[in-house]
Amino acid sequence: MGMFSSINTAASGLTVQRLRQDVIADNIANANTTRTADGGPFRRSRVILEQRAAGPDWRSPFVPGALDNGVGDGVRVVEVEKDLDAEMRMVYDPTHPDAIQSGPRAGYVEYPNVNVVTEMVDLIDASRAYEANVAVVNGAKDMFQRALEIGR
Amino acid sequence: MFENTGFGRQVDLLQRSMDTSLLRQNVIANNIANANTPNFKRSVVNFESRLAYALESENRQPRFREALADERHIPFHERVDYHDVRPRRVLDFATTAKNNGNNVDVEVESMNLLNNQLSYQMMTRSVADSFARINLVLQ
Repeated sequence: MGMFSSINTAASGLTVQRLRQDVIADNIANANTTRTADGGPFRRSRVILEQRAAGPDWRSPFVPGALDNGVGDGVRVVEVEKDLDAEMRMVYDPTHPDAIQSGPRAGYVEYPNVNVVTEMVDLIDASRAYEANVAVVNGAKDMFQRALEIGR
Repeated sequence: MFENTGFGRQVDLLQRSMDTSLLRQNVIANNIANANTPNFKRSVVNFESRLAYALESENRQPRFREALADERHIPFHERVDYHDVRPRRVLDFATTAKNNGNNVDVEVESMNLLNNQLSYQMMTRSVADSFARINLVLQ
């Protein structure tokens, strides 16, 4: 257990929450985008998180407790994936250049599956989680400073 | 030099508690960092109650002496040396607080964080005061 591992753990949380905020900003900015490089309208992205566990200590695997995974090393992003589950938003607008030309849904425009309310709620969640991690960093910093003051 | 004095014992106990405090800080940091991770379960650190038990067992007088006629008999009152008490990390796997299987409550973790931080401050001050008193004698 390193001395600053709690700060590193909290920093992984900060990175992840910052990335979530970036992704949400991208989703909101593209809430009405009907053309993308992949073709078709924009699809909302979502961040998949995973626990980053400290690995077993292979230097001494036969000591009891060495295979205990330890405290854990924070969190990491597995991937930023496109949300294919949520339905696209269909708006009737035959004059739109990207309107569907034929078939039963002719005249409809496929808009991104971005729900601004969901994005705002996620945004609040991410920013509150960021604050919680900042509190951890400040707390750890304070503790180390107090430890340095013992010898004064 | 100070091993068997009240001062040595006090500083030793405080040092163990401060180590635990640092470990607990790590555990809380990990819990908060994973506040949005699906299926993550929070951990807690157990130390103080077991330390209190060990300290209490040192000067506990048994009400009566049991007759240990065989070496395999288990005594009722066993002294626990506080040096053997190690902080234990326990996974709180039984509860669920959110729909994604996560059970981190950020408010609870923040309170634990503050609690831990303040008790660490208290212990550092206590260590510093102990050393100051020894200094006073040595001067």
